[in-house]
Amino acid sequence: MTEATIATSQTSAGVVAKPNLVSADGKVQVLIAMQNIWKTYDMGAEKVHALHGVSFEVKRGEYLAITGPSGSGKSTLMNLIGCLDTPSQGDYWLNGKNVSEMDDDELARIRNQEVGFVFQTFNLLARATALHNVELPLIYGGIPSAKRHEMAKQALTEVDLVDRMMHRPNELSGGQRQRVAIARALVNHPSILLADEPTGALDTATSYDIMNLFEKLYEDGNTIILVTHERDIAARARRIISIRDGLIEKDEQIK
Amino acid sequence: MKLIEILKVALAAIWAHKLRSALTLLGMIVGVTAFVTVVSLIQGFNVYIDEKIAGIGAKSFSIQRFNPFEDFKDTDTIAAAQRRNKELTLDDYEYLKERATLIAKLGAKARGTPSQIKRNDQVLDDVFVVGATANTSDIENRNIENGRFFSDTEADGAARVAYIGADIATKLFPAGNPIGGEIDIRGLPYRVLGVEAVKGTVFGIPQDSFVVIPLKTYQLDFGPLIRQRSLYFTATSKTDQGFSDAVEEARFLMRARRKLGSNEKDNFGIVTPDAITGLRDRIFGSVFIVAIAVPGIALIVGAIVIMNIMLVSVTERTKEIGIRKSLGARQRDILKQFLFESATMATIGGAVGVFIAWIVGKVVTQVFFQTYLSVGAVVIAIAVAGGFGIMAGLFPAWKAARLDPIEALRAET
Repeated sequence: MTEATIATSQTSAGVVAKPNLVSADGKVQVLIAMQNIWKTYDMGAEKVHALHGVSFEVKRGEYLAITGPSGSGKSTLMNLIGCLDTPSQGDYWLNGKNVSEMDDDELARIRNQEVGFVFQTFNLLARATALHNVELPLIYGGIPSAKRHEMAKQALTEVDLVDRMMHRPNELSGGQRQRVAIARALVNHPSILLADEPTGALDTATSYDIMNLFEKLYEDGNTIILVTHERDIAARARRIISIRDGLIEKDEQIK
Repeated sequence: MKLIEILKVALAAIWAHKLRSALTLLGMIVGVTAFVTVVSLIQGFNVYIDEKIAGIGAKSFSIQRFNPFEDFKDTDTIAAAQRRNKELTLDDYEYLKERATLIAKLGAKARGTPSQIKRNDQVLDDVFVVGATANTSDIENRNIENGRFFSDTEADGAARVAYIGADIATKLFPAGNPIGGEIDIRGLPYRVLGVEAVKGTVFGIPQDSFVVIPLKTYQLDFGPLIRQRSLYFTATSKTDQGFSDAVEEARFLMRARRKLGSNEKDNFGIVTPDAITGLRDRIFGSVFIVAIAVPGIALIVGAIVIMNIMLVSVTERTKEIGIRKSLGARQRDILKQFLFESATMATIGGAVGVFIAWIVGKVVTQVFFQTYLSVGAVVIAIAVAGGFGIMAGLFPAWKAARLDPIEALRAET
């Protein structure tokens, strides 16, 4: 399948209707539906189109890699998927909700509930313990502290770091830090795990460990989106979307 | 996000930069210290005056030739009062004493004369000697340490007896008991009957260097009760409720005795405790404003320093803000976080300032004069500091809250 498109009914007014995302049992199966997404940056005199008309779908439980050279628009796409930004044009449905029109507070709530970020540079709070770092999304989610501790410990157990939970990031190795970040991304049971070059700052052996962890999380039923420019890392996913010049170049199922 | 969570984050951030936080707060601490010290000095003085009035008897008033609050406003009123007002006389005293029904006790005193006092080869110069009736001891609530005040009999018989201040007693009788001893006032011998308890100093002026002798004796030995020995009366009312009635009755009787028409001004003065506190409040009202304004400037400077550091802090922690936003912090969560940090920091500064001012107050009370730190002043000082902290934090917090999460995540630190 190249240039994945979604069958959408274009009304006369030009409004894109909500796609059929729900399966017969009433569960949302299509987790992400990007419909003709444009992202345009106003650079003074000229307008730069980072994305021009990208459309694709991600089903629940998929393991997807988004690849492309730098400047291809893959970072822009990642920011949109992660609800850090909204498209200039087009609709983005995440878990049944149209996030393209949301304001800052609503986006913050979606980031809190639906998206778990894993960053290349881990992005842990340096002054906080591993446990506190993992608790952060729960704090903003308004979870009471006893429950929070329990959930954070559980998430750290899943990445096999519960014995180091009182350590600060600078007392942990790179791989351990990334596992803390993964625990933090998972703690709120988000709809998607969004990883941006998760192995970019790690050596080969540690990269393998992290990729094995992703494999395990995928097998547990998590939906994972990996943004990377490394072919061998992308190859660990089940589906690869290649971006070039703001367009989807290739969308292939690889396993 | 709950307040307690925000508070924890704020405290952690302040604690992470202890030295910087302490330096940042210096201005705030100095301002609050100055503010609270000034307030406790003024309150101490107020308490002192209130206690003095309570000591004289809050429900006592005096009748004298001039009313200092009315007659001494400017040279014209002084001149007019000097033409109009006449000296009080002992006949006035008897007249009032016979007719007043609402007054419990009416005493008479004459203004004191600085005099030389001797005992053996001990000489004290410029000791204030005053004449008084026997009942003034009760009216003024004298705190007698030793012996007694002179009696009506002694007063009526113009006996050469004296009631002395603690300072006179220790200086003239360094070794022994002064009661029954003899002192020499302006060449005449007086027998000491009693000694007053130590009062200490007020604004550096000693309060224990005085001698009280019977009014009649004073008249005989010092001269007629006019001008510098001007006669005045002190009075207490029978009941607290009837105080103002007693004052009015005294005024009415004095006006009747002096045959004043209804449109003529009093040609005497009545001074009540209210008039004294009223004068104090008038003086301190303006002193207070100046005294508050100066530390207020320090507080503003302190707030600007806090704002400056908060702006630096926001820049420094752009990455942290990005991380928090990516994890679901809303604009208002970030706003609150920085506002709280600034307010908490300023409040800590306020508390430290109050603490230092409390120590300063203790020291001043020991070596200079009474200070008083009220709970209200403490609460206001800390609240004002916190309020300045909130104001100082508003702009930096707003800047932090408005950061674009993508830009913020891209930041280096």
